[in-house]
Amino acid sequence: MLKNNLYPFTAVVGQEEAKKALLIALVNRRAGGLLIGGAKGTAKSVLARSVQSLIGAQKLLTLPLNVTEDMLFGSIDLEAAVTLGEKRFSPGILARATDNILYIDEANLLRQELLTAALDANSAGINNVERDGISCSHEVRTTIIATMNPEEGTLPGHILDRFGMYADMQALQDIGQRVEVIQRALAYSSNTLAFCEQFAEETADLAAKVQAARELLPQVEVSDAMLMLAAQLCSQAFCAGHRAEIYLLEAVRAIAAMAGRAYVLPKDVEEAAQFVLPHRMRKPPEQQPEEQEQQDDNQNEEENEQDNEDNPDDDNNDEDNEDNQLPPPPPPLDNGDDDEDDDASDDEDEDDESDEDEQQQEHNNSNLAPEEQLADIDKSFHLPKMLLDLGKDRNVRRGSGKRSVTKTDLKQGRYVRAEQPKSKVTDLAFDATIRAAAPYQRLREDNGCALNIKEEDLRQKVREKRIGNTFLFAVDASGSMGARERMRAVKGAIFYMLQEAYQKRDRVGMIAFRRDKADMLLPITRSVDLAQKRLAEMPTGGKTPLADGLALSLQTLAMMNKRDSELEPILIVVTDGRANAVHEGEKDPVAAAISIAEKIAKAKITSVVIDTESDFIKLGLAKKVAAAMQANYYTLQKLSKENIIHIVRNLN
Amino acid sequence: MKRTAVYPFTAIVGQEEMKLSLILNVINPALGGVLIKGEKGTAKSTAVRALAELLPPMAAVHGCRFHCDPHSSQLCDDCTAKLQAEGTLPEETINMRVVELPVSATEDRVVGTLDIEHAIKHGEKKFEPGILAQANRNILYVDEINLLDDHVVDVLLDAAAMGVNTVEREGVSYSHPARFVLVGTMNPEEGDIRPQLLDRFGLSVVVTGEHDPLQRVEVIKRRLAYENDAESFIAGYKEAQEELAEKIIAAGKLLPEVTIDDKLLETVAKLSVELGVDGHRADITVIKTALTLAAFNGRKQANLDDLKEAAKLVLPHRMRRRPFEEGELDWNKVESFLAAEA
Repeated sequence: MLKNNLYPFTAVVGQEEAKKALLIALVNRRAGGLLIGGAKGTAKSVLARSVQSLIGAQKLLTLPLNVTEDMLFGSIDLEAAVTLGEKRFSPGILARATDNILYIDEANLLRQELLTAALDANSAGINNVERDGISCSHEVRTTIIATMNPEEGTLPGHILDRFGMYADMQALQDIGQRVEVIQRALAYSSNTLAFCEQFAEETADLAAKVQAARELLPQVEVSDAMLMLAAQLCSQAFCAGHRAEIYLLEAVRAIAAMAGRAYVLPKDVEEAAQFVLPHRMRKPPEQQPEEQEQQDDNQNEEENEQDNEDNPDDDNNDEDNEDNQLPPPPPPLDNGDDDEDDDASDDEDEDDESDEDEQQQEHNNSNLAPEEQLADIDKSFHLPKMLLDLGKDRNVRRGSGKRSVTKTDLKQGRYVRAEQPKSKVTDLAFDATIRAAAPYQRLREDNGCALNIKEEDLRQKVREKRIGNTFLFAVDASGSMGARERMRAVKGAIFYMLQEAYQKRDRVGMIAFRRDKADMLLPITRSVDLAQKRLAEMPTGGKTPLADGLALSLQTLAMMNKRDSELEPILIVVTDGRANAVHEGEKDPVAAAISIAEKIAKAKITSVVIDTESDFIKLGLAKKVAAAMQANYYTLQKLSKENIIHIVRNLN
Repeated sequence: MKRTAVYPFTAIVGQEEMKLSLILNVINPALGGVLIKGEKGTAKSTAVRALAELLPPMAAVHGCRFHCDPHSSQLCDDCTAKLQAEGTLPEETINMRVVELPVSATEDRVVGTLDIEHAIKHGEKKFEPGILAQANRNILYVDEINLLDDHVVDVLLDAAAMGVNTVEREGVSYSHPARFVLVGTMNPEEGDIRPQLLDRFGLSVVVTGEHDPLQRVEVIKRRLAYENDAESFIAGYKEAQEELAEKIIAAGKLLPEVTIDDKLLETVAKLSVELGVDGHRADITVIKTALTLAAFNGRKQANLDDLKEAAKLVLPHRMRRRPFEEGELDWNKVESFLAAEA
């Protein structure tokens, strides 16, 4: 549908790399398909969909985010079952995509098990269906083209690996090109047909070239010398497994075929490497070709390694663990040069910003009472593993996706599959019920409808809801925390937890305790923006009413639990434990705190204590509180090496 | 069913940016909708619902579930088949309308699903269209869009990206045109909106309560008058409503003739690079908005002032590049940049 109106491939301005990668994917299916990553508004989807004009009679099928399992894998043919009483296979998208192109928009938002299943079925070449009374298998032979915007979290490494190639799309920076983009967009929307006509010839030429290359492909041979070069590149990139070599060689053959050659040149191998290796290589960030500017540019190799050692069990899957033990990163490939320049300027920018921050902070401090201080946020806080963009640091985000995927009994969430009801049916899966009833219709008495449904046919919907976690921060803002560097570090740590929360769309709340009471700085909200603002504004000074802080936390979480028992909140207490604010009738502020900590433990609230005590003589009070709370205990110093995500994940 | 009375759009006091952004989207549905941010009680929902009265008539294929445009080449499967078989499509004139997507909507209702009744009665699969089908060529209004379930946002994004709703669920495989003007309202204090969804909005405005006491009094007076006697209150604005509706239709007709100097395109491109906005959508939307503004003002040539006004509506929500960077637009920077370019 609507295919004649698509924006033509040849009308996309610039983006030569992504275009080349797409052509390779089209010419040679064995190159493993393509994942296009890039910021919003860089014409990723426009370009991907425009390939329809290059593939002749083949179809570009869309795998939408709303897909259900039966439609992806295939299921029973309802009509044949009802009218003929026969069990026939009704092909799913995988079958329909065979010998066509399968397109997945925003692949990082698709349910990961479906994405993995589709990619696996394609690389194995077979789809085995065992569902709805159907048992069959069929060949799968398609090219998968996917796009994603890493802004909402990238794909885990083991899924990235399953794509043969990766290409990055960035907004054009050349003014002339940008103007061209606008002009073409306007021309396209004001007269679509005329616009497409204008590019028709060029597009037809390119389509013919793709076809010719496909025909030449079987004759393209790779010499031993070129094989060796490919193997060297893969080994320099420390790719896990041997998928990389296969994809690389197939991409190389496609490049040669497009150039009309039956032999391969070294430059073909180098060109193919820039698409096949970036998402599976391990290199220091400053050499990543697809690197995007990041806040932790100054992260160095040493930290990388250190982190690997610190978090050996960061990942769940075997393949990933192999990555962790990899030797130091390889020398750069030829295409890293430009990025290095960019990095240098980014670093400068960052320095400027932090200067401004300091000035700003001094200015702010002058508005506060003498005993109060306002620490800024230490954005250089080292949790290097937290900022992960694609290619930057593959180890970390893996297995992430949105945080907790929960099967839910409420009639909310995405309908993922149907099952035999375990008790009374509360959420009927109509489609599955009908499929279950279909084969028996010829045997059942006629009730006036085409379908006679019996109780044993009924199927229950299984729904899945991605719920973020809820984090409540209880932050000690007393004078003892006020030593500026310490508060900066604390704010830095919280800042990064908030940043993680932003991507996962967790909910956050914040309590600060100082002087003689605890305040709800931020009621539990999804607005991480607001949390960050409150955090920046949080002044410190005065005594430490730790017991009040804990009491308010307990009260808040207990209330929340009443409202929504599905959410499992996590309490994160940041303190040095030196409780010293005494209320009337109390003697020992530390004992008071410990008594409330015990109540928190009793309420089975998952908690973490981050101990900020850094004085020469340590009292270890926070540790005692943590023990009473049955909390996971970390020191701030340790935290700067440890990975907070790691801590948080361990809780789940 | 008798339509319930709607507070007239022209009777809304102040909130000029919000009103303008809505009108521009009606004139030019290709602008990409508008996100209205503001606290409770700032007439956000009133304005969107009131807009329904001003929507222009349009030609549609008679009997089509997706109200396809008979003169466009983007037809649904049924219309395409009909056109091939009969060589012509029956036409009717319908009004563009506001389709509401409630926050509680489930995915199957949004994208459409298997027609269960048909399946049981006839043993055949048939697609039952959802809200996205209704929304084709109309305004899709989501109140409290920031509270929408993640997976519903995902399918909205999917459809909004290319104007097509592809359904592969519950035994049905179907796709149909779904080009809609997305209008969302939200109270930022109740949570953020996802960056990918944010970017889909062409324009954004922030509304605040009126601060001028005289204006506030006017708001109350009109509200009371409306509640007291809605019919005569509405009658009092009949003329203003008709005038605005006509102006919108005239602007829609003028729009294809409006041009803009290439130099201004360059100005926009430079501005985007200077501000570091993501992608190219900002550039394109600023220009389209400037053209629409010129049409609304009855001019055939968009000028620098149009550009400036457009930038104010298009750029602010595109400034945030990363979580936690202060994404605020430094308007002085834009002004001085445009002044230097002039």
